[in-house]
Amino acid sequence: MSLRLQIILLAMLFCVLAGMVTQIKRKKLELKYTLSWFVLIIVLIVLTCFPRLLIVIAEFLGIAAPVNMIFFLGFCFSLVIIYTLTVAISKMSDNIRSLTQKIALLEKEEEKHE
Amino acid sequence: MKKLIIIPAYNEGECIERTIQDIEKHAQGFDYLIVNDCSTDNTREICEKNCFNLMNLPINLGIGGAVQTGYRYAWEHGYDMAVQFDGDGQHDASFLPRMSEAMVKEGADMLIGSRFIEREGFQSSFIRRVGITYFTGLIRVLTGKTITDPTSGLRMINRSVLEIFAKDYPKDYPEPESVVAVLRNKKRVKEIPVVMRERQGGSSSIGNVKSVYYMVKVTLAILVESLRRYK
Repeated sequence: MSLRLQIILLAMLFCVLAGMVTQIKRKKLELKYTLSWFVLIIVLIVLTCFPRLLIVIAEFLGIAAPVNMIFFLGFCFSLVIIYTLTVAISKMSDNIRSLTQKIALLEKEEEKHE
Repeated sequence: MKKLIIIPAYNEGECIERTIQDIEKHAQGFDYLIVNDCSTDNTREICEKNCFNLMNLPINLGIGGAVQTGYRYAWEHGYDMAVQFDGDGQHDASFLPRMSEAMVKEGADMLIGSRFIEREGFQSSFIRRVGITYFTGLIRVLTGKTITDPTSGLRMINRSVLEIFAKDYPKDYPEPESVVAVLRNKKRVKEIPVVMRERQGGSSSIGNVKSVYYMVKVTLAILVESLRRYK
């Protein structure tokens, strides 16, 4: 990896990181659900700073081309992120159901008092 | 003894009046509550015009969420028994008094109105009966109990099961899964022969494509349910 590419990649990654932090500051993102994104960006920063690491890990895992290693990592991270979202959605749909029922029950109570 | 009939209603405008007349005529001693699951037809208007006891969900929750709302209502209002009753005219209210008597007499915690004990009345389509037989078998393997009609929507429960259902009830296609949950909680489930009619209006919530999803989902749900631990 050329030094130029390294610098460009690092700049991009820090931009994304900064963007995410701003979003969290503005409360547009919930910190809880962005943790996996943070881990992803940090891993990418480390790998960009030390490209040798990539080759070492790829060799260790028996992956021929380090590029495939990137694809593999990206895929794993995407799955983790999607899974966190599925968990979040399940929780949310449960909460929505409970709230909907509560609203209906309260409305019924109110009608009785009128 | 306070007894509540819970009628989940999604677009049952055609039938809801007849259902309530049937209840008022044949099920004396029962209160009823219509849970309108955000119908898009005139179900709400018809109920309000007739001053039926109605509760409106602000968003559509599906059958499980709607029935559970009824259970929560029954739990909060101190009902001793609650029975689910379909709004589409399939169920016959004259069985309700018999069911509540049988429930007390046989000491059951849950009583299911089964179409397949005396095999009278509308027996559902062949394909559906195959599915129902499969669920009966699955439940027998997993719990050792025989439930001839695990998909029956006509089910009466007492307060101990009400407590379970008010807290936790499956979202969609809840019938077979919730029977397993009740059995796993070591409650007594009994069945009583009933006659059901073909639906009088509205359409089934389970179409052709959905029935595949139904079989898979309910099978998985039953399997997971039998893995849960209860005190």
